[in-house]
Amino acid sequence: MIRLQRVTKRFGSASEALSNVSLRVDPGAMAFITGPSGAGKSTLLRLIAGLERPTRGRIRVNGHDLDRLSNRAIPGFRRSIGLVFQDHRLLFDRPVFDNVALPLEILAYRRPEMRKRVRAALDKVGLLHKEGVNPRTLSAGEQQRVGIARAIVHRPVLLLADEPTGNLDPALSREILQLFDDFNRVGMTALIASHDLGLVERMGKPILHLEDGRIEARAAAGAPA
Amino acid sequence: MKPGRRLLDTVPAWLEAHRDAARRSLQRRLQAPVLSLISIAVLGFILALPAYLWVLLDNARTLSEHVDHDPRIALYLDGVEAATVADLERHLETDARVERWTWIDADEALASYREGLADPGLLDWLDENPLPDVVDVVPATADPETVAALREALAATAPGATVVSDDDWVRQLNSLHHLGLRILAVVGALLGLGALLILALATASELRERREEIAISRISGATHRFLRRPSLYGGLMTGLGGGIFAAILLLIGIGLSRAPLEQAAAAFDLEFGLALPGATHLLALLLAGLLLGWLGARLGSGHALRDAP
Repeated sequence: MIRLQRVTKRFGSASEALSNVSLRVDPGAMAFITGPSGAGKSTLLRLIAGLERPTRGRIRVNGHDLDRLSNRAIPGFRRSIGLVFQDHRLLFDRPVFDNVALPLEILAYRRPEMRKRVRAALDKVGLLHKEGVNPRTLSAGEQQRVGIARAIVHRPVLLLADEPTGNLDPALSREILQLFDDFNRVGMTALIASHDLGLVERMGKPILHLEDGRIEARAAAGAPA
Repeated sequence: MKPGRRLLDTVPAWLEAHRDAARRSLQRRLQAPVLSLISIAVLGFILALPAYLWVLLDNARTLSEHVDHDPRIALYLDGVEAATVADLERHLETDARVERWTWIDADEALASYREGLADPGLLDWLDENPLPDVVDVVPATADPETVAALREALAATAPGATVVSDDDWVRQLNSLHHLGLRILAVVGALLGLGALLILALATASELRERREEIAISRISGATHRFLRRPSLYGGLMTGLGGGIFAAILLLIGIGLSRAPLEQAAAAFDLEFGLALPGATHLLALLLAGLLLGWLGARLGSGHALRDAP
């Protein structure tokens, strides 16, 4: 599903955010990326999501060679992945329902099907009763769950999450990770970045440790590259 | 696992997506009504000015069309030699631009003048006939350029003759009309460019307000086309509003200037009625508004989305 070969990313003339990173995540796998802040976790996820281009190296995700993907082909690629952010990035000018429906709108789903899928996604994260409220009125944990519903509503093959539990207490964090585990069980490949090593270790999934932009493998994610 | 790809191809889904974009754009406009109305007003003013000038020019053109008599050319043959007169007669017979011509003999002219006087004896004081022989020419066409060319040809054939045509003021009016049209085209083009830039700027700032939504949509795989769609509908709405406002301003402007213009025309002994623009012209005004609105939105969104993250 994901394969990085000797990938380096440098921003401007600054030092390398990622140096020579190689990794592989098999289809249907679930893996974690850990490491202190500034280790390059976000950069790695952004590269895999096609939001950044590598300075060197090859990235292959879901059959696409990202280092060679044309600008025109990027939107199509992004529709096959779901992205969860630490700060949720919800739109406060519209209700929860419309936030979750955004990826389906982009895919030009028709109303009845859209309603069905948004409801199913909200139901999965336990927020079906909040579909009409403005996300501003929700708690941090609820906002994160709306963000997750938006990331999975179009049933992506790959789910990427950048510190999804960053602002949450331990109980809520476990709940969120359990959600990802549930999605993974139904076939969604998941790659989750988190600095909370203790929490991640309890999930019993492969962990990639990033330190100063380099992988220090702890356990194979699917398998090491 | 690409259910959207299949759905994208269906026409109803496409229509729904457009309807949603239009609805969202309308909602955004209603949320900031003052800004939207300012855009509409600016476009209305910009469209109304050249439209008003055009109506005035168009009506002025009809002024020359109202002239109901054919143009004439008169040659006063004072002191012109007999050989030249013979040349002139040959020319008049052969030139296709001449419809007909009349020789008015000086003696006959004096006689008919004498008949018109209350005291015919008055003219007996004259030693000799002061009137010249005159050739009165009716051109085959009223076209000002043909008449002018004929006039010049006749003057060349009869050197020494005084040639006068009565269409001079029509030609002056026509050339003024052409000048007016040219000025109108320049003014209209400059105003149109200004309107385009203002609308592009408004679209760009609207997109700046939407930047978080655009960033999230991009991450979810939105295309350029999808992201700019609401802006294009917004541009069409502003354009339609501006066109309607311009039409209203135009009708008010004509209503207000009608009476003074007719009074001024009457003072010059001219029959001049300011006609209201027809449905075609009002429709053209709406179309101009729609076109400017759409182009402005396209210009602004193209620029803003290229720069967006």
